[in-house]
Amino acid sequence: MICFENVSYSTSGIDIINNVSFKLKKGCFTALIGANGAGKSTLARLCNGLLKPTSGSVSVGGFDTALVRTSRIAKFTGFLFQNPDRQICKNSVRDEIRFSLECVIEDKTEIGIRCEKTLQEFSLNGDRDPFSMSRGERQRLVLASILAAEPELLLLDEPTTGLDYRECMHIMECVSRVNKKGATVLMVSHDMEVVQDFASEVMVLNDGSLLAHGRTKDIIRNEPLLARASLLPPQITELAIRLGGGYENAVTVDDMVLSVKKHIRGAE
Amino acid sequence: MGGFLDYSPGNSFLHRLNPIVKIFLSLMICVSCFITDSPFFCIAIIFLNIVMAASAGILPRALAMLRTLIKFCTFLFLIQVFFIRDGTVLFSLPFDIYVTDKGVMFSLMMAFRLVGATLPLALMLSITKMNDLSNVLVGTLGMPYKYAFSLTTAIRFIPVFTAEMAGIMEAQTARGVAFDTKNIFRKIGLIFPLCVPLLITSVRKIEGAAISAELRGFNCRKRDSGYKSYPFRAADIGIILFAFALAAAGAFSPF
Amino acid sequence: MIRISGLSFKYEGGRDDALKNIDMTVCKGDFLGVIGSSGAGKTTLLHAINGIIPHHFHGDYYGSVKVNGLDTVDNKPEDLAGRVGSVRQDFESQMVSSVVEDEILFGLENFSVPRNTIEKRLTDALEKTGIKNLRERNIATLSGGQKQKVAISAIIALMPDILILDEPTGELDPQSSRQIFQLLRELNENHGITIVVVEQKIMLLCEFARKLAVMNCGRVILQGRVSDVLKKSRDMERAGVNCPRVVTLADRLRDEGLYDGAIPVNIPEAEKMVRSIMG
Ligand SMILES: Nc1ncnc2c1ncn2[C@@H]1O[C@H](COP(=O)(O)OP(=O)(O)O)[C@@H](O)[C@H]1O
Ligand SMILES: Nc1ncnc2c1ncn2[C@@H]1O[C@H](COP(=O)(O)OP(=O)(O)O)[C@@H](O)[C@H]1O
Ligand SMILES: [Mg+2]
Ligand SMILES: [Mg+2]
Repeated sequence: MICFENVSYSTSGIDIINNVSFKLKKGCFTALIGANGAGKSTLARLCNGLLKPTSGSVSVGGFDTALVRTSRIAKFTGFLFQNPDRQICKNSVRDEIRFSLECVIEDKTEIGIRCEKTLQEFSLNGDRDPFSMSRGERQRLVLASILAAEPELLLLDEPTTGLDYRECMHIMECVSRVNKKGATVLMVSHDMEVVQDFASEVMVLNDGSLLAHGRTKDIIRNEPLLARASLLPPQITELAIRLGGGYENAVTVDDMVLSVKKHIRGAE
Repeated sequence: MGGFLDYSPGNSFLHRLNPIVKIFLSLMICVSCFITDSPFFCIAIIFLNIVMAASAGILPRALAMLRTLIKFCTFLFLIQVFFIRDGTVLFSLPFDIYVTDKGVMFSLMMAFRLVGATLPLALMLSITKMNDLSNVLVGTLGMPYKYAFSLTTAIRFIPVFTAEMAGIMEAQTARGVAFDTKNIFRKIGLIFPLCVPLLITSVRKIEGAAISAELRGFNCRKRDSGYKSYPFRAADIGIILFAFALAAAGAFSPF
Repeated sequence: MIRISGLSFKYEGGRDDALKNIDMTVCKGDFLGVIGSSGAGKTTLLHAINGIIPHHFHGDYYGSVKVNGLDTVDNKPEDLAGRVGSVRQDFESQMVSSVVEDEILFGLENFSVPRNTIEKRLTDALEKTGIKNLRERNIATLSGGQKQKVAISAIIALMPDILILDEPTGELDPQSSRQIFQLLRELNENHGITIVVVEQKIMLLCEFARKLAVMNCGRVILQGRVSDVLKKSRDMERAGVNCPRVVTLADRLRDEGLYDGAIPVNIPEAEKMVRSIMG
């Protein structure tokens, strides 16, 4: 779905992305992690042509981003920014969703049908004023308006920062649902627990270079690697690493409880 | 980063001038551009601006600004030059459109003046800390602190809002609004609704800034609260004289 | 220190009370973490402590808030600023200067601190937050964590007894977030500054704070020592607040009848717990 070949990006003389190459398969759920300023947002913007690489090439869904307009790529990709307020520009929830749909499809009746379906699916009240809603609700509205267009590729830039736990889970469940239906997801995140629970692959970015790209359970266990990118493993994983002997494979609380029980039985 | 009004740190001769003098110099440069009738003088002024920028270490920014201004002025020049009808006809086009010597001269001067007057103000703002500016406005010119602070805050917020607008455009492009269209009128039509999110974010940011200024004792400030002092040195006096000389040269330039 | 009694507040034009009958005491030297879902009233509570409510935001106000014995209704925010220092959310767009030094001078100048002590206050503030080397730097070139430290120094320079912070690590990565909390711990332990911090990252609060308050719909539903509050993890979840996973693990092990000790709040304690079970 996405293919980076030796991509570098620099602006005003500063190199932000250095020679990054990777491939994301259709339908995968990849997390992009790294410290503040590592270049994650820049990389995400390169994916849908908002930025064009200085050298190397990026192709998305078969299109070279340097050759086609961003608005063309936007027809099959959705991009959720960290700050929902930059997207919302209509006075009601319904208009906001319609506006998103009008950008990508022409058929008026189809727009109406999809809009109502989305309102129902995300349990949103179509007549509310977006600016009177809470941050989490606004984030959900923006996500809904993006998903209404049924994108094949979903790019999420820190979709859960600044949200409380409940809102965070709400957003992630929606994302996970469309991923199960076949959409490709690339998510920038700091929250290692969200990454662990939802992503199947992880890419680690540090200072504009790709340090690693692999399966989630391998990467989040690799403490030295995460330390290089100023990150920490999730709690249970770190506990498992510290305990060693027989616990290494525990990832969730359930795993841990099972392992403890097994150990006790083994000792008796 | 590096937005066109952001402070650019340094320790050059220009950086060390008294803030009042910096502003005075740039104002006088503007004035001299407007009172002169000589295109050569304007070119000299633009060149002087570039040299000053280079000496303050902000040459790349000045050149970038110059490039944008030239584009804009070429556009203005082309519009203007066809509208002035008196003077000797230099050459004519079909549909009764022609270009006169007066037209060329007038449009050229307008373009030069615009460049010559915009550059120094922008350059001075980018080598003057906003705090220093508000301190001298209060301390030396006796402006009430509230006004000085509002003024400098307004200047400080320009790059913030530009960045916010760029972010909003980006977000809308990403959802499929076709800003990358070639049709300029369509583009303006598309940008219009974006004023809503910009307005809301701006109001929120300004409210936040007001509260935090209040929490940091903004209302207690007195005229002599400033910690730093801004003495006039020989160099400052020299520059003031130079600025007057420049204005005089503009008024009486022989060409 | 801070004594809040029977506080209720409704914003002008608001539909519901943003704060409902809050009683809370913060003692000298406390490190209190406040958590709750968004819209629970956390920011409103902080505004009631620093005097922004009722002086800047008006509305229906009942009850009283006393800071070091001063009633916030009778004293303006700027009169309280020497006692409570506030670091607000979205600190980035609230900076008034382009250079670190000026940012810190702003408050000192406003309060007409005598000239001969300004330099000392400035260096002290930078030293306490560990950013002495950044003094001459342009703020636009700093990382998010460094900017947050500058915002904290600017407040510390005013020498408040109490520091209140609203989601100080909201936009920061895990490592920078920890650094900010380490800084808060140092200010609390070595300089005796009372800290009240609103934060969404429960793991940081459990590890660094000594007391915890959980808010929901304008009420404080739980408050007390961190370990006592964590015992009510079910109530926390009902309020939309998650527990650190080691706490959930301890709960599960307790349900299974395997563990009966103190609730671990960080990894080393959790390790101790599991090892104690295995004997
Ligand atoms: N337009 C720009 N001009 C100059 N530097 C930039 C620009 N955009 C981003 N940067 C720099 O690039 C680096 C990476 O930024 P970003 O991609 O936003 O990081 P992340 O999202 O990982 O926090 C940062 O150091 C940032 O300062
Ligand atoms: N300026 C305001 N005017 C009216 N209502 C407000 C204002 N600020 C906050 N509120 C309302 O008060 C409640 C609590 O908000 P807030 O204290 O910001 O919550 P939190 O910080 O916990 O997310 C919310 O329901 C919010 O809508
Ligand atoms: Mg980012
Ligand atoms: Mg808040």
